[in-house]
Amino acid sequence: MQGDSVVVTANRAERKLGNITVPVNIVNAKQIQQVGALRLTDILKEQPGLNMTSGFGAGVQLQGLNPDYTIILINGEPLVGRTAGVLDLNRIALGNIKKIEIVKGPSSSLYGSEAMAGVINIITETVANIPLQASLRYGTYETIDAGVNNAYAEKSIFYQGFYNYFSTNGYSIRPNSNSRVTTPIDRYSFNQQLKYNIGNNTNIAFGIRFTNEKITNDISVTNGGTTINSIGKENNTDKNASVSVNHRFSNNFKTSFRSYFTEYNAKQDLVTVTGAPYYDLLNHVFKRVENQTDWSATKQLNLIFGAGAVWEGVKSSRYDSEKIRKTNTIQYGFTQMEWTPSEKLILIGGLRFDKNETFASAFSPKFSALYRLNQKQKIKISIGQGFKAPDFRQLYLDFTNAAAGGYSVFGTAQAQKVISQLMRLGQIGNLYDSYYQLKTLKPEFSTGVHLSWEYEPSLNSYLSVQLFRNDIRNLIQVQQVGSYVTGAQLFSYLNIGSAFTQGVELELKQKLNTNFNITAAYQYLETGDKDQINLIKANKVYTRDANGYSRLLSLNDYVGLPNNNTHKAQIKLNYNNHNGFFANIRMLYRSKWAVSNTNGNEVFDKGDEFASGYISLHTSIGKTYQSGFSLQIGCDNITNYNDPLNLPNLPGRTFFATIKYQIFKK
Amino acid sequence: MKNQVQKLVLFISLTVAILSCSKSDTTQVLPISAVSVKDIPADTVVGLSAQGAPITNGVYTYYSLEKNTVVPAADSATTKWDIAFMATRIITNGGTSGKGQGGAFVFTGLFDNLKTIPTDSVFKTDNAPTSYAITTGSGKGWYTYDGLNNLITPLAGRVLVIRTASGKYAKVEITSYYKGGTTLPATASDLEKLTKQRYYSFRYAFQPNGSKTF
Repeated sequence: MQGDSVVVTANRAERKLGNITVPVNIVNAKQIQQVGALRLTDILKEQPGLNMTSGFGAGVQLQGLNPDYTIILINGEPLVGRTAGVLDLNRIALGNIKKIEIVKGPSSSLYGSEAMAGVINIITETVANIPLQASLRYGTYETIDAGVNNAYAEKSIFYQGFYNYFSTNGYSIRPNSNSRVTTPIDRYSFNQQLKYNIGNNTNIAFGIRFTNEKITNDISVTNGGTTINSIGKENNTDKNASVSVNHRFSNNFKTSFRSYFTEYNAKQDLVTVTGAPYYDLLNHVFKRVENQTDWSATKQLNLIFGAGAVWEGVKSSRYDSEKIRKTNTIQYGFTQMEWTPSEKLILIGGLRFDKNETFASAFSPKFSALYRLNQKQKIKISIGQGFKAPDFRQLYLDFTNAAAGGYSVFGTAQAQKVISQLMRLGQIGNLYDSYYQLKTLKPEFSTGVHLSWEYEPSLNSYLSVQLFRNDIRNLIQVQQVGSYVTGAQLFSYLNIGSAFTQGVELELKQKLNTNFNITAAYQYLETGDKDQINLIKANKVYTRDANGYSRLLSLNDYVGLPNNNTHKAQIKLNYNNHNGFFANIRMLYRSKWAVSNTNGNEVFDKGDEFASGYISLHTSIGKTYQSGFSLQIGCDNITNYNDPLNLPNLPGRTFFATIKYQIFKK
Repeated sequence: MKNQVQKLVLFISLTVAILSCSKSDTTQVLPISAVSVKDIPADTVVGLSAQGAPITNGVYTYYSLEKNTVVPAADSATTKWDIAFMATRIITNGGTSGKGQGGAFVFTGLFDNLKTIPTDSVFKTDNAPTSYAITTGSGKGWYTYDGLNNLITPLAGRVLVIRTASGKYAKVEITSYYKGGTTLPATASDLEKLTKQRYYSFRYAFQPNGSKTF
């Protein structure tokens, strides 16, 4: 049932899904279309083991690890422009997408920093079966999505283009509030790709992608009973361009040179009625050149060698000067050996070294294996180390919040210099021990172990059980390092703390008959902060009983990291017939999760405030006609579940209708 | 023989009686029972301005732990009060705050487990406005402030060890900062959070004999 699908992300080379040694989920174009997904967020929220977060845009949590630990790639090239570690996945329109590959577990041995929890790689279409396609969708909250795809191919040329316009009026769940939880947005994107074959063995490919969004973000802040209305404008631009030259020396030997440029520019203006402007700028540029060479030494042995260099720079109004770009360079090399000693066994070992200019280097090994017990069953194991480099804000932030008591946060690259200057000016009240512990930040490291069993009793059934455990150390956390004479706090970043996530994932796919199929998934997740657990064990953490009196917290009360669901489940029923008609109903469940610490200790426990668990139901039906037209209607969140406080990104019940026209290749 | 035994028994009983009497005379093993106090206002919001801003009077509520009663503000310059509350600030009757011998420190642990004030404890006194015996600020003294939900929560496992105006000792555990004795849920309305805040509920034990044992 897993069939002959091809995966490129797991091995950095095209391999059949059946031979992949690490946990992978593939979402294909048909699934994306039948769900009616427009943005990357829409489709990822329905995938097993993933969870969408809100705050600083919609990020993705993978097996309990925060959005900063998953790298997002488009055709293998990374997206940049994260706010507080979160890359807003609403930015990515799902136009000419062929499939999305989700690799779980540390993958830094191939992808470097950020691939600590896993990799999400969006792969665009590679064939020109549909020369022209136009679609228009209208939905609740005046949401409009209009898209055009065009593609052209002849012997030596492949071209495709994608143009998209999206706009929504946003919505406000809370009555009588100017603030909208989803803000009015106008977003344009386009995407152009051209591939030219120079002879039989060489090709050159160009790609550009552009997205601009304008967001109206009027807010009302009620502070101490006073309401201040502000007019907010946000303007975000994401550009990227790539060129690659690929050459095949022989069937066993090929190489590819890739160069990539991307820039993310985010600008926010906020003007209050009293005129006090708030202004924020972030500009992130990332350039990379890379070579990868693939060599099939024998039928049993495939080798990959790669090396590259990255230049990265960020300008921000939250650094000491927004005119001076902070830069970093990275040089890296990686290798992977794939050995198939027998039909039953595949062994893969990989290694990558990243040398950084501004922070300590990282070494990322990985080992994985697949063993076929018989025709129907296989076992996979993977053990890898992942890392996440300190980001620019952790190095260069120079931010004083005048509005909230005048506290300051300094990145580690400046903290000691700035604070000692302030000291000479007599502005520092006292310094904590943590100030003297400030030093060059090390990357955060994780070790991940994944063990899975897959069973395919027939062509119609698939079952997998996966156990996973991730241990993270050197967590970079904000710490108070001292205070001003005025009492206002001074913060910086330190490598402290360690955490873990572990759990079980089950997946079931069953074809019921020619028309119906059902898929189901379940995830059980446990998380914890190891330092907090040690404090609890040492009887140093307290909570309150029903009378409000303090008592010791026991390990049984501890619930781990916030914003994590112990149980997640989903069931999807799909219908397809050969007249082009399809229908589906999808049910998603999340159990309760801790949202805020309300009982007077620093850990999350059973006495804290939780968001309630919930079920959401979604459906969509559609039909494609011989003429090339297709129609689709859908309803998301049928039961109209909402929780404005904890799920600002979940609107109530929404409807949509899409009309699409396609010209098929004759 | 019988007589001698009777005498011996009598002697032992008397000795025990005398010894126990003399013992109770010097250290008083009478248990100190904890007292619960509810909803002591601490400069509460008295109204809202036209713009909706809270209006407060900027006043302390003075409290006598010895007498378990609120002391009128008119007596603020006397030694009749032991602690006083204004918003999240708690002062003691000593240092820059009063004429008494007051002082305090924050003990980390459980109220019931604090049976004797450790001999190496250092009582601090108020030195307004730079420092207070009971440290002010979120996470430093007796509370944390959740800026997202705008709520003040007393830290669990904190006991305010108080030296009273007359130099005796008491221990205090703050249980709530909101009217009604329980911290409001995060979902409470802004108006409710505004008007129900600044009410202290606490339990305390006061040792009248001047010893450091509760």
